[in-house]
Amino acid sequence: MPDNPQDHGLERRLDEWASPPPDTELSPETRRKVQAMLASSLTPVKPIPPQSRLIFTFLAVFTVCAVGLIAILNKAGFHLMTGVQMGFIAAILAGGGILFSFTLAWRMVPGSRWPIPFSLVLTVSGLVPITGIALLFPWHTSSAFVSEGWPCAALELTITIPSAAVYWLLARRGALFASPGLGASLTALAVFLALIPVQFQCMFQQAPHLLVWHGGAALLLIGLGTLIGEMARRMRT
Amino acid sequence: MGETPIDDRELRDLMTRYQNADAVAVEELVARMSPPLLRFFGRSGIGPTEAEDLLQDCWIRIHRSRHTYRASEPVMPWIYAIARHTRLDAYRKQRRLESREVLVASIPEGLHQTTPEQVLEQDQFARLVASLPDAQREVIIMLKVSGMSLEEVARATSSTPGAVKQRAHRAYTALRRALGKDLESAR
Repeated sequence: MPDNPQDHGLERRLDEWASPPPDTELSPETRRKVQAMLASSLTPVKPIPPQSRLIFTFLAVFTVCAVGLIAILNKAGFHLMTGVQMGFIAAILAGGGILFSFTLAWRMVPGSRWPIPFSLVLTVSGLVPITGIALLFPWHTSSAFVSEGWPCAALELTITIPSAAVYWLLARRGALFASPGLGASLTALAVFLALIPVQFQCMFQQAPHLLVWHGGAALLLIGLGTLIGEMARRMRT
Repeated sequence: MGETPIDDRELRDLMTRYQNADAVAVEELVARMSPPLLRFFGRSGIGPTEAEDLLQDCWIRIHRSRHTYRASEPVMPWIYAIARHTRLDAYRKQRRLESREVLVASIPEGLHQTTPEQVLEQDQFARLVASLPDAQREVIIMLKVSGMSLEEVARATSSTPGAVKQRAHRAYTALRRALGKDLESAR
């Protein structure tokens, strides 16, 4: 026991409680039933690829789709951002893609090592972009805030849905347990992918526009993904 | 610790053979892993029949997910991660059923809620452990009943060893406090 309770009385009670009572042993019938159940559908299976290959696959899809969409769409945003803004946005979007590729790959295999708590991943991937945008981009807006903004949110939604579907199809190879965390991971990866073309085609590179129509929409979509994960879990149980 | 730790090298070998459809390996794996899994479910505060049902459900899930095991990884966290989800799903299902029953029969809200103090009056340590928050109880069961290491529990619960250690510490503090109160009330 690595974490010693440092109390002999408690330790003794825990040991007594943990010791296997004779009446809870597995009955031979149940054991035979389980063995027969598994043997009846026993076929060789190919083990899932290594974690590195799963992550590489997610990142390859991320990169190919992002580059393809940038090539197709308008690139006005490239010319409107300064070098610092461009560097920050590129780092954030690439970082988000990498981070959520890792979390999705961890979720595919039960018992994977999680070096970073998922709550920390979500917090960092939310706070860092918000802070960076608030500090690096100008705080002015036009009177047409809504009419300028909603097309960006709509484009983000349009790209997120098929991207999430593609990632779900790829992740299905693993042992996915329906959960809000899975929903959040899948959508977040798709949202970061969608944000790349949205950001680089956008003609309104101001903090209020980026925070509300790009970031706000991203948060809503991730929230929706989380909700879908929770609903899937409820349906399962 | 509840039992002699199972050698992970042997389990890895059995799992690899299981993936290659070796029926003997399946029998051996079921024989080795079923007793600790049954205790894992049994210590979660459910009856023996429900524990056996959960065990069967767990083996079905293990069977369906067997391709996700990698021979380079330890077996115990992989199996217990699946067992944990089996238990959590069953727990959520039960809670939803109970909430429906409450709506129909109007059972008082506090009926199923027992404080550590109330539980100690019955002098049942098992119930005291059962009264711990789910995340803490789960860690205690894996560490003490299943004999897993902090690293293995962290993997099985999709957490970090630091977070597991903190949960275990909180559980021990709660148990120690409740036991202290028990002794005071006995004087």
